[in-house]
Order: sequence, then C-alpha cells, then structure tokens
Amino acid sequence: MNSIPAGRKRSVSSRMKTWFADFRSQWQMQSMMLPGVIFMIVFNFIPIYGLTLAFKSYSVTDTIAGAKWNGWQNFQTIMNDKYFWQAVWNTVGISAIKLTIEFFLPIALAIMIYEVNWLPFKKIVQTITYLPHFLSWIILGGMLINWMSSNGLINQFLGLLGIGSHANYMLDANKYWNIAAWSDVWKEVGWGTILYLATMAGIDPTYYEAAEMDGASKLRQIWSITLPGISSIISLNLILSVSGLFGSNLDQTLVLMNSQNQPRAEVINSYVYRVGLTQGDFSYATAVGLGVSVISVILLVAANMVTKKLNDNQSVL
Amino acid sequence: MSITKRLARIGAIAAMAAATMLIAAGCGSSSSNSSSTSDKLPKVSYKVSKNTPAWKADKSKNNTLTWYVNADWWNKSFGKDMITKQIKKDLNVNIKFVTGDDTKLNTYFASGKLPDVVTILDPNSKVARTASQWAYPLQDLATKYDPYFFKVARQDTLNWYKMKDGKTYGYPDYSNTEADYKSGKVPPRDAFIVRKDVLAAIGKQDFTTPEGFVKAMAAIKAKFPNLTPFGFNDFSGANSSLDNVVQDMLGVPIVTKDNKYYARNMDPDYLKWLNAFREVHAAGNISDDSFTDDSNAFNEKVNVGKYATIMMGSDVNHGINLQTFASKHPDDQYVAVDGIQSTEGRKPTLSQAGISGWMINYISNKTKNPAKAIQVFEYLLSDRGQMLVNYGIKGKTYEDAGNGMVKWTPSAAKVQQDDPDKWQNQYRMGEFILFGHDRYKALNKDSYVKAIWQMQKWGQKYLTPQFKTENIAPDPGTQEARAYSAIQTNWSTTLVSLIRAKSKAEFDANVKKYKDFEKSNSIDQINQTRDKNIKANMKKLNMK
Repeated sequence: MNSIPAGRKRSVSSRMKTWFADFRSQWQMQSMMLPGVIFMIVFNFIPIYGLTLAFKSYSVTDTIAGAKWNGWQNFQTIMNDKYFWQAVWNTVGISAIKLTIEFFLPIALAIMIYEVNWLPFKKIVQTITYLPHFLSWIILGGMLINWMSSNGLINQFLGLLGIGSHANYMLDANKYWNIAAWSDVWKEVGWGTILYLATMAGIDPTYYEAAEMDGASKLRQIWSITLPGISSIISLNLILSVSGLFGSNLDQTLVLMNSQNQPRAEVINSYVYRVGLTQGDFSYATAVGLGVSVISVILLVAANMVTKKLNDNQSVL
Repeated sequence: MSITKRLARIGAIAAMAAATMLIAAGCGSSSSNSSSTSDKLPKVSYKVSKNTPAWKADKSKNNTLTWYVNADWWNKSFGKDMITKQIKKDLNVNIKFVTGDDTKLNTYFASGKLPDVVTILDPNSKVARTASQWAYPLQDLATKYDPYFFKVARQDTLNWYKMKDGKTYGYPDYSNTEADYKSGKVPPRDAFIVRKDVLAAIGKQDFTTPEGFVKAMAAIKAKFPNLTPFGFNDFSGANSSLDNVVQDMLGVPIVTKDNKYYARNMDPDYLKWLNAFREVHAAGNISDDSFTDDSNAFNEKVNVGKYATIMMGSDVNHGINLQTFASKHPDDQYVAVDGIQSTEGRKPTLSQAGISGWMINYISNKTKNPAKAIQVFEYLLSDRGQMLVNYGIKGKTYEDAGNGMVKWTPSAAKVQQDDPDKWQNQYRMGEFILFGHDRYKALNKDSYVKAIWQMQKWGQKYLTPQFKTENIAPDPGTQEARAYSAIQTNWSTTLVSLIRAKSKAEFDANVKKYKDFEKSNSIDQINQTRDKNIKANMKKLNMK
C-alpha cells in the first residue's frame, strides 16, 4: 500500500479522495474483509448496547429499551453483596496461582521438549501433555471428583505409601484453590507449549552452532539464544494472562463446586451465571459483568505499558 | 494511516449507526399492550355447546399453532408418533414446537411476537406474574369458544392461578388438588428404605428414634462392613433428601398455629435428628462421598445396593435403579420401614406435587387462532386426551382390566419390554405430559415399577398437602430475593457442615452462625413477605 507521509497535512476532501481511490484499486481484496467486519459489527459492537441493562431493572418480559432505568442501584448492590466479594477474592486467588504456574511451566516444558533430540520421545511427550486439553471439564471434573473421593485413586495411592486416609478432598474448602489451579495446569500445560515451540522453531540454528563453537554450555545457549528468541511471545502471553486475572473457568467451577467448598470455589463467572441465568436477575449480572470488564481492560493496558517498558518501548499488542 | 485503522474507523461508525437505529427501533416498539380481551377476539366459526367438546364441531382445516416450551429437553416432534398423530387428526391442528431457555423467551417478549402457546416451568417467575399482560384469560376463551373446558379443568386449579383481575391465564400439568391427595390415586414418593437382607440380619432395631437410629447404623456396619450404612439423595442442584424430605418424615409443620411462616430448618425435632446423623457420620457410617456424588454416582450406588438404608426422596424417579437391584437380588430388595420419625409424636406429612403443578401453559394474546388453542387445552385435559397420551389407543395398546382400571394389550406390553425405542419414538407413550396428571397414571398398576409398590403403599396414609406455602418466596429481582438466595446458599453449606461437625459444640456453633447469617440478611422482611403470600394463598384456597 502506498503511504502518504504528508497526508495528515492535506485537506479532508483530498484525503477522502485518496482513500476512495485506494479503496477502488483494491476493492477485490477489501471485499474479503467485509464478512469479518460485518461479523464484528453484529457480534461485538451491537451487543455493547445491551450494557445499558446494567443501569436498568430488567426482567424476562421487558425489552432492553423498555426497561426502567435505575441509575447506579445495581452497582450499589454489588458494593454490599458479600457473596460477590467472596467470588472476587476466590477468582483472584485461583487465577493468581494459575497464572504463576501456567506462565512459567509451559516455558520450561517447551524448552525441555525443544532440547530433546530423540524424535519419538519428543512426540510421545507432546501427545501425552496435549491430551487433557481436548477433554472437557465435565469429563475431567467427574474423574477428579472420583479420584479425590474417600476411596479414590489418591487415597489408594497414599495408602500404598502408608499415609492413606479416608478423607474426601473435594469437601475441604481450604484445598480447593490448589485443586482448581493444579488441575487446570495439568489440563493446559502441554497446550501452552505450542506457541513457544513454534517460535523456537523459527530461531536461526546458526546462532546455536556459533555459540557451540565459542564453547557456550547448553544452559548458556538457552539463556542467551532461546529465551531472547521467544521473548516477544513470552511478553504477549504475560499481557494476556494478566488481563485474564478476573477471568475464571465456569465449566471447571460448575463441575467441581459443592456445598462444602462453595465458600472458596465460587468465582465471578459462576456467581454471574447463578444470579443472572438461574435466578433471572439479568440487570445485576450485567452490572457485575461490566464492572469486571472495565477492571480487565485496565489490567490489560497496565500490563502492556509495563512490558513495553521492559521491551525497549516496543508494544506487542 | 494504516488500512486496519481505517477499517476500524469505518466499523466504529457503522456500529454507532446500527446502535442508534436499534435504540430508535427499540423505543418504537416499547408500547404496552393492555386492552380488554373479549371484544378483540376473532368470531366463532362453529356452533358452541356446553356439553360437547368444541373440537368435534370445529371443522376448520389447516390450523397451525406455534407452541413454545421453556425447556430444552422437550421433544419437539409432532404428528410423527401414534399419540400426536391422533391429536393432529382429532383436532385438525398442526403444532410446531419451539424450545429454549429464559434468554429465548426474552427475545420473544422483546420482539413482541409471542408464539400462540407458551409453556413455562416457574410459577414464581416474572413471566408468570405478568401473564395478564401477554396472555388471554382462559375463562374468556372457554366461554366464547369451548365451554366444555369448564367440565374438564379443575376449579381448584383455576382458582389457584387466578390473578388480581379474577381471571386465570395459565393451566399447569400435575396440579394436585386437596381431593387428589385424599383419593389414593396420587402416590407418595418419599420413604426410608432398607435392604431386606440387612433387615433380617441385624435383628430388631429401632430406626424411629435418633438414639435407635445411631445404634442401628452401628449394627449394620458390624454385620455388613462392605456396605455404607446410611445413604441419601445426591446434593447436585438441591439439598438432597436431608431437608424437606426429612422434615416431612418428622411431620414438621409448614406454618405456625396462626398461619405464619414456620422456620422448618430450625425445628428442634429436626435439629435433634440432624445431630443423630452427625453421630452416624462421626462413627463412619455416612460416607463423605455422599456429599460430592452427582446424580449418576448416586444412581449407580442404588443400582448395586451399595447403601444398607436410604432416605429416599422421589422413589419414582429412582424406580429403574431400584428395580434393577430388586430383579438381580430379589431377596435383598429395598423395602420401606418406619424410620426417622418425630420425637414429639407427630405423624409424617409426606408431600407430592402441589397445586401449582409443574409446567404451566398459556395462550398468548398475540395468537390468531385462540379457538384452536383452547380446544387443544380442553382436549388434552379431557379423559379422551389423557387416556390417549398415557395409554395410546384403546384396543390397540390398552384394554379394560375391570374396576375402572386398564392394562396394556399383550402386543403393547411386548413392545414396552423389548423395544423401548419404538415405545418412545413411534408410540411416545406417557411422554406428552403438558397436561398430564398422576390420577390417570394410577389407572394402570404397571405404571410404576414393582420395586416401589410397597414404598408407595407405606406412605399413602401420610400424604398431606402443603399448598399454603407454595410460591411464597420473594419476587425475583428484588433485594429480598437476593438476600433469600444468599440465605439458601448459606443453608446448603450449613446443612452439610452440621452433619460433618466433629462435636455437638461445633454443631451448635454452626446452627448459631446460620441464625446470625439469616438475621443479617433481612430474614424478618423475607418472612413478612412469606406471611403475606401465605395469607393470599389461603384466600385462593378458600381456607380460613
């Protein structure tokens, strides 16, 4: 595409003219964008209008426009809602554990896989670690509940070591954060290596050859070649995961939550689901969703700013 | 300026335009739709009679009704199986079923284009509470198009669903009246059941008192180390059979003497029993897994007889599993015995579906064919319709068995036994339940599996209506409703921690914590609402 450096200084009409001229000359390619643009408008932009519900009192029988405005009342309710804040606390707690482990572990695993020279072993490790990603939480959750039950796999294994008990770990609220985080790690760690491995494959092998000639050890090579090679992907992942701090796994929570671990297991998503869909309190659920989105955007921008500083002023977004 | 930025700008402008249009359109369609009904209704095209169903007189062809059912599991086919084919033929009507959840229902309301018939499942929802704005009153439709409706509809049920204007807009299935409870044709569904072999082996034990119960469970553990002595329904979705069902077994009242709300969860008798369960748990005779099992896990355990005794809520729903176990081990099958009973001498007050019923059917005031819609209601409520949906066609799938009872024809019985797929898809037997009622099921002794007959018989004399306290929760979407939901969540946690408490002191502390939680979550206001609703219910039921 021809860029016009002086474009900004020219009049609006001439800029429009160039714009249309450009567009006409590229219309075949531009029209390929059209489905995507329409899709965005229909599914991303128009629904934004629905956010007005957060400031209304809305029920099943209302139209979005017809519902009564009620100002900040829904947000005031949020402020006083003990269960909501409990859900926030759980969400942040579980996410923090998840993010820390799920940020570092895939990098380490990817480097290890990358350094394996024997191809069959590499393939087997990759397949095994990817596998849980493809199972839904409904299945994995059922397995977990079974494993953690009083006569389940874990207690039988501990029994072999002589430290077995008949505790049902799912009933212990204090263990829930770790159960949720580590089971998620187990499910996703393999999948998380894919991006890194793909990026590593793009690193020029001559760097390693040169390093070896200079007598650099394996660790030195990883530190000075591999890690810098994937640094942009690492920072991208960091930004995305930080902005996901308030995101929570609805499927996982709905499967693993029970009346005993509920005080530590309820996350924002499951709370919104319970209040909004099962109790029909749409406005309140929208208000919660809006609040969480705003905080997430702030986190995203903040994380981007930080990585930009660390990354020589280059933004990865 | 890069191309992506330009496109983003176009996108943003387009989105703004679209949003503005939407807002404008939304404002235009938000007019209210209230007007008196009878003068708006289309003319009758046939002779209306009090004594014959209107569908016999109405010869109009090509009637189509769209029927929305607010449940995803509803089978949408119509006119393909024996039963709906007959409905189609008798009524000259084709029904297009649509299913969905609240969001789908909401799009209907938002667009103002309601289907002809709407079925919802929650009598407490906003949809039901605003029915007079979007549905036709059944009385008006029946008077104009099909007065025979008054012969087949239950007056008590119509009264129960009357709204402020004195008219009824919805009619539910499985709505039991006081008379149904007394008729003996509505079976009870809850019972304390024990495996026969266990019962024989442990000698004389007393399951009816808390002390006896704890001892009996220990005795079971001693003789049957591989069984879990005491089991109960799963906790997924509800509080197992440990609150309402146990309270019914103990005959805990539903209202106080002066008809105010009675806090059943804090009833001293009930708490005494929960403490007994705590002792049973502490002795290792309740498995912790019972609190985490989902319905599948529970069913599997019933299926193989893993529990020596079960506080069984809804034996009908677990009939297949109880029957599987009974068929494999005829000498061990579960039987209902007297157990978990009041220490204050109260009799059990077992409950069943109430007068609110289950699925509630409305005819929307947007329908072009209200005559056909009310005919369908009348037909499905009449004996003819009920016998059809429960038993199919007389002579073909069922026949008289004397005493007003019916039985399957040998060929139908064979299909039921050997070809469940045909039974379900080609016959659709007993599944078209939008106006179903248990009293028709009671006409065939094979309606229920054999394994639960004894349980049903055990509880029959204890069946007691709880109509007064139906739908008394605060209006959804209000502050009270939110507080109420918080209390319910807290109760679920409390209930399990009471049973899992290590000591009586911990038990008492948990009870106190729960009471404090209720207080700080406006229980007094909620109870006032409940009292008000109880009073309104009693008025509808003509009770003093």
